Amino acid sequence: MSLNLNVAEWAHVQEVDMARHIIDATREVFSTMMVMEVEDCYPLIEPVTEFHCSITGMVGLAGSYTGILSIHCPAHLAMKMTSNMLGMEVEEVGEDVNDALGEIANMLGGHVKQVLSKGGLDLNLSIPTVISGETYTIRSTNNQDCVVIPFRCDGERFLVGLTIRKEC
Amino acid sequence: MSNVLIVDDSSTMRKIITRSLRQAGLSVDTILEAADGIEGLNALGSNTVDLVLSDINMPNMDGLEFVKQARAQGCKAPIVMITTEGGEDIIAEAMNSGANGSIRKPFTPDQLQEKLGGLL
Repeated sequence: MSLNLNVAEWAHVQEVDMARHIIDATREVFSTMMVMEVEDCYPLIEPVTEFHCSITGMVGLAGSYTGILSIHCPAHLAMKMTSNMLGMEVEEVGEDVNDALGEIANMLGGHVKQVLSKGGLDLNLSIPTVISGETYTIRSTNNQDCVVIPFRCDGERFLVGLTIRKEC
Repeated sequence: MSNVLIVDDSSTMRKIITRSLRQAGLSVDTILEAADGIEGLNALGSNTVDLVLSDINMPNMDGLEFVKQARAQGCKAPIVMITTEGGEDIIAEAMNSGANGSIRKPFTPDQLQEKLGGLL
């Protein structure tokens, strides 16, 4: 796993710099919208493709670059995050949690978009997609061009990943 | 007191904006909600609105098209984009379409107060 070399060349950003952008954006989103502190544990030692009792929020990027920004959270942490965002207790994974995870992915995707495209018109963000379940597997046909950052928050671990490549 | 229309496809974000407006101590009476630009135009057509806060990236009708059509149908209320989109060109396009300002997500109640205080 590493940042695609064409992305690094075109965006003038090395993998460690992109990781730093994602870490800073994640901290900002969590502290501002959820009043929660996160600790990054970059780099990820072992790739993770299988998730248990988790929720994944994803937003696609398309245009001068193509890719996906994703956040993978244990269900319990996702409920806590949603509770803090809404200012009310959320006790089940449902519409509120799905919407919150999608919006978090959207905010992180927006930050990455700004790193890659200062103007913003050459790169589009998709509407977020959310997956949840007791056990699911996420595989990309291109597992090489990705940066994944593990975080700890409220005693639990979650991941933020960016798979991205430069389009010709 | 003012009527505010929030146009955002995320129900979570609509709730956060609503709470932040109250926390910021802004003079808000009624808050109307719409989940995309089409619902936003319908809300403008049937209500008196003093301020519009709109996302850009939405299904069915995005925020840029919403601003254009809102102005075309005679909306005179200030429209402020609240969005993850921070790119200079996309914000310039929003302003050229008739938006009056932008606020980047994530935001704090203080930032809303600073940007919106003069409009309410």
